[in-house]
Amino acid sequence: MNIGRMLGVALLSMLFMLFVALDLVLFGVLPLNSVMVTVLPVIGLLAGGAIVASRRNRTTTG
Amino acid sequence: MKLLRVSMAGAAFGLMLVGSAPTAVAGIKGSNGCQATGTWRSTGVVVDAATADGVIAIPRADTVDWQGSVAAATGVYSGSVWIELPPPFGEVEVDSWAGNSLTTSNAGSHEYDLPSLVPSGVEITVAGEHVDQNGSCVGSVTVEVEGGAFDSPLTIASLAGTAVTGAGLAAMLRPMIRRVV
Repeated sequence: MNIGRMLGVALLSMLFMLFVALDLVLFGVLPLNSVMVTVLPVIGLLAGGAIVASRRNRTTTG
Repeated sequence: MKLLRVSMAGAAFGLMLVGSAPTAVAGIKGSNGCQATGTWRSTGVVVDAATADGVIAIPRADTVDWQGSVAAATGVYSGSVWIELPPPFGEVEVDSWAGNSLTTSNAGSHEYDLPSLVPSGVEITVAGEHVDQNGSCVGSVTVEVEGGAFDSPLTIASLAGTAVTGAGLAAMLRPMIRRVV
């Protein structure tokens, strides 16, 4: 498994979700003190890593 | 099947957003009978911390006439006002006070002019606490600066960040998705 690619996607995905959370706050969808502002980047980090891992597994097993 | 998966993910995301709204502590809770009010001069809006509910829209610049009181002489006292940030970032203190007094009330005026970086239309919880020899009290109000989302340059910066990282993410994921298909 390419750990470098997995880390890259996970970090970029975390940054993407951080900006999405910021957008949601700035457009008044989420209040400033919402826990989602913290949770969304973590979801991005985990989802990014999981997507790369699952795709890698599919290409090796399929 | 793919459409179903996408709509389920969308619904879950929506539910997550709705369910994440923090529960605001409306009014004042405490044991020393404290009260606090503020009147915005330009709009005439009066906010009583004991009854304030919902989101209060405030001008970007104004002068606030404030007044605070407790039921009995305070003695040694201290307190602060802060803005609540998302967990785990805690809070940012806006003002604080401390001293020793025999009076039961205080009043004054505060002129403010928020910089353009402070976004409009964002719900901000402002909370405060006062402690004296008779007990303590804590309360909060939710405010938002009048105006639109694009009044702050932060919005453009954030949207640009979303676009750049989204494009980068798509570029990194595309070869992997193609390889599977």
